[in-house]
Amino acid sequence: MPSHLNVPTKYWELTKEVPAPPCVRGDIASWIIANPADPLWDIDVLPLTYTDSRWSAFVVRCDEPTRRRLVPNPPLDLWDGDNADLVEYWYVEHINTMLGPYLEFGVTVSATYKDPKGNVWKGGYYPYMYLTSDAAVDAGRVLGFPKKMSYIRITTHGGEKGTDFFGFAMTRNGYLLHSATGKFDDKQVTPPHFYGKTDWGKFNMKVVTRPDLSSSEWQLTYIASELPEAMQGMIKGHRFKIKPEHTRTASGDAINWFAQGTPFDNMGVEVKIQEITGCISFVFDLVIPPPSVLWTETYERPASYRGYATPYKYGLRQQFPISQGS
Amino acid sequence: MGLQANEYSYPWLAEGEVPPLPADRDRIHILTQAVIDPVFDYDIVPLTYTESRWMAYIIRADINAMKAICPEPIEVQDDVIEFWYVIHRNTMLGPYMEFGVTFSATVDDGTGKIYKAGYYPYMYLSNDSAIFAGKEPFGFPKKAAYIAAFEHGNNNNWFNHLMERRGYIIHTANGRYSDKPLSVKPTFYGKTDWGRMNYRMTTRPDVSNTIHEVTYLPSELPPGFGEGHRFQLDPSSVRTANGDDIRSWYLSGTPFDFMGGQIPPTEIVGIISFTFNLIIPGAETIWTKKVERGADFDWGTIMYSKPFEYTMRHRFLLPQYSQG
Repeated sequence: MPSHLNVPTKYWELTKEVPAPPCVRGDIASWIIANPADPLWDIDVLPLTYTDSRWSAFVVRCDEPTRRRLVPNPPLDLWDGDNADLVEYWYVEHINTMLGPYLEFGVTVSATYKDPKGNVWKGGYYPYMYLTSDAAVDAGRVLGFPKKMSYIRITTHGGEKGTDFFGFAMTRNGYLLHSATGKFDDKQVTPPHFYGKTDWGKFNMKVVTRPDLSSSEWQLTYIASELPEAMQGMIKGHRFKIKPEHTRTASGDAINWFAQGTPFDNMGVEVKIQEITGCISFVFDLVIPPPSVLWTETYERPASYRGYATPYKYGLRQQFPISQGS
Repeated sequence: MGLQANEYSYPWLAEGEVPPLPADRDRIHILTQAVIDPVFDYDIVPLTYTESRWMAYIIRADINAMKAICPEPIEVQDDVIEFWYVIHRNTMLGPYMEFGVTFSATVDDGTGKIYKAGYYPYMYLSNDSAIFAGKEPFGFPKKAAYIAAFEHGNNNNWFNHLMERRGYIIHTANGRYSDKPLSVKPTFYGKTDWGRMNYRMTTRPDVSNTIHEVTYLPSELPPGFGEGHRFQLDPSSVRTANGDDIRSWYLSGTPFDFMGGQIPPTEIVGIISFTFNLIIPGAETIWTKKVERGADFDWGTIMYSKPFEYTMRHRFLLPQYSQG
């Protein structure tokens, strides 16, 4: 006789740590993403906090033509003030978050937005982000973050302090996107302009496409440094809190570096680097509240729209090693 | 130390193997973010599949349990469920593994018109581009998981399936094809008047509202996509096994994935496997509801966790995306 076993455990009936699924909760205003039977992430992600994450940011110098391609205009403009050419090229180890642990990579460029009333919004804009977790990618994408999944490695080890040497690497679909190794020499590194500025927030560009592909709405989102009023009763102050006692730095001379574009990821082609000025690594706590939407624009497609592919003909971008998933 | 190189060439562009860089395109050719390098791009359109291998367990469950997980306006029609794995070898999204559950369901669009379709409450995939190309425009309920699915042995007589996420086994089953007929099949099998439905939810970045939609893919191809149906099955590839041929079966609810707790089978009827080609065109929207969270909304009702306090659902093995 065959063995057929079903273990129909409903964890939300065993512990309040697990929220009942949306279809059981009933109150439709509490449903954030599909599917109501079992969403990829749910209300126990909120408020979205992070504790003791480690940020390791390579600071690279990029000229204006490079940065201009990275920042969508309209509606954004490049920041043209102090250290405008310093771009952050960063990895993060997230240990404790409401989305669970994950590794992350991103690029941040200083940018501004002038609204129709003349108000100027300043922020770091993210052209690229990669993560190792599906739920963290999706939760970010709902807010407009440009997240993809990739394989990421972060190692700090050895030396007098036990964390003197570092290795970072990122691959996707079998291609190496970036690798950096080196040693923290704790020399002075000039950060991008937005470091430590409480009047600077973060920009993202979300795109929402209709199910019939007839149009896409672009939405510029903005997360201010200060927490919104609705959250002030719960958490005080600013979103990002550095623990300065853990900060390490490496000068450009202490960093080995390789980056390339791939058929699937153009970051290594678009981010043209004049100089790798150094690396700044620190530990921090974080809160990510919902952003505000500053600008929208809809782009319509004709009914005859057929994309770029030829049916049933598979080329370079459709061929890579099959994955069993994560 | 200090050895550094950046390779900026993009040789695939000159041969037409990759589309123009997004920064050089009209914005109508950008379907999602990142706007400089989208997670799925317009070279997946039209979205076709060639010689995918579908392996579908047919199970029965308590119809009231099935109804309990389907939101308005989805109406479950019977207790027969398709519980399927797929190996996608050639697709516009590249190769990937997939799992899903399909109910026979109907929707009244509000005018009295009844749409009949397979409805997906659960799906899992191994590839990020395929997940977000399914979730964002169409509403497929895709998550990432570790999925192993294969046939092997003489004449590929033996099959095995395994799915894991965040350290918990969600499902595994294996057995041998006997090619015996099954006592029941899903209602939508072979019916060209039955399409596929998804429940899409799009939440505004400031969470001030969520738009709920039922999207519908008819069986027949839309104008401009040629004649015929979206799903083309190769009849010579069909293999079957009944419940007694399924040597082992294990399904469990987990803290992260509720399927095993929500629809435990009352009967494992058997398995049907086949090879097929597929097209997924743009979907129709047949039902919409907008839920506003206005000035009087109590945000405390959706702040389920306590700031900086991490509990069971926030703790699991560090995920490493193996598609690297």
